[in-house]
Amino acid sequence: MAEDDAIFDPSLKKKKKKKKTAFDIEAALAEGGNEPQENNTTEHPEAKEEDQDDANVDIDLDFTKKKKKKKKPFTTDDLDAVMGETKEDGGNEGGNQDDGAIDDNFDLEMDFTKTKKKKKKRNLGDLIAEADEKHDDKENVDENSAVWMGSDRDYTYDELLKRAFEIMRDKNPDMAAGKKQKFVMRPPQVVRIGTKKSSFANFTEICKMLHRQPKHLLDFLLAELGTSGSVDGNSQLIIKGRFQQKQIENVLRRYIKEYVTCHTCRSPDTILQKDTRLFFLQCETCGSRCSVASIKSGFQAVTSKRAAIRAKTA
Amino acid sequence: MSIQNLNTFDPFADASKGADDDVQDGLVHIRIQQRNGRKTLTTVQGLSSDYDLKKIVRACKKEFACNGTVIEHPEYGEVLQLQGDQRENICQWLTKAGLAKPDQLKVHGF
Repeated sequence: MAEDDAIFDPSLKKKKKKKKTAFDIEAALAEGGNEPQENNTTEHPEAKEEDQDDANVDIDLDFTKKKKKKKKPFTTDDLDAVMGETKEDGGNEGGNQDDGAIDDNFDLEMDFTKTKKKKKKRNLGDLIAEADEKHDDKENVDENSAVWMGSDRDYTYDELLKRAFEIMRDKNPDMAAGKKQKFVMRPPQVVRIGTKKSSFANFTEICKMLHRQPKHLLDFLLAELGTSGSVDGNSQLIIKGRFQQKQIENVLRRYIKEYVTCHTCRSPDTILQKDTRLFFLQCETCGSRCSVASIKSGFQAVTSKRAAIRAKTA
Repeated sequence: MSIQNLNTFDPFADASKGADDDVQDGLVHIRIQQRNGRKTLTTVQGLSSDYDLKKIVRACKKEFACNGTVIEHPEYGEVLQLQGDQRENICQWLTKAGLAKPDQLKVHGF
């Protein structure tokens, strides 16, 4: 089977090449008639052969363009010669020469896809070819960042940089190219209740996400906002005063910065513990331990009616 | 040219300098409180008692076009109180006047 295919392929190619170089409709028709016959005579499964035929047609299409230029009948024996010529053509174009040389070293059959591309490029306009070659050069740099290792030449800055990052990525894959671990939070749901109160609906949920006591966050929120408030039966926080989601978000962000993320490594994986009247933030990632500011509401000006206060106290 | 290590170092230099340094020590807390409606109140706590707060409040009132007062508090000392949301203004003014450094200002509230 395999041998037959191998034999079958070149014959097909040759015939098609002749047909297309000549641009002879009759010959093409004749060939078109011949092909099915050949398929019939050889007793392989037809589908397979047809696939191969398609592949060959693709290759041939590419080669025909080449041949228009060269005016040569194409045979597999001539492939090397053609390759040499293409190399010569590519000489003035610079970068591709190396690629051609490398390709020659590989198996010819393997090369078809690659050589196809090369030849296409040369048939296109100069501009496109140049652009492609630039692109190729870039790819080369990307692929071989340590290409200078064996050779005597000087390394470039880009290569060194790439090498450093590659090593970094290899050594610690969890770091993911120096990306900072993002701390994703659900936004607080703040709804107005009446005209003078606001409700922070997912308060306990956010406390759970932050792994903090609701009381601690409550203290902080009330001290920062300078108001009073409490948690009601539905585990939502009722704050006195009008507050919008954006404002609560700001305060929450400040809370997270001060009491949740580690001050050394910024990891949110921390424990807040009370020790001799002070709160300490213990980081689970880097093991650092530092004290955090105590929550103080500070000076509170009198905003309600003084007469009302006097009536209450008296 | 002198060798730095051989210089005598006065350990009390900072302490003696602290008195006449024009920048105060400690944090200045700037807070906002909501009043009825969309009215607010800005309080400035922690300004050094070396300054004449009455003069400061007089300048601020003129600058921000708002009313204000100085309140004596038993625990927190003298506290500036300005009408309206003057947090941005007071921060800029304090740094511009050289009364406090930007890292000494701590703005609270939303």
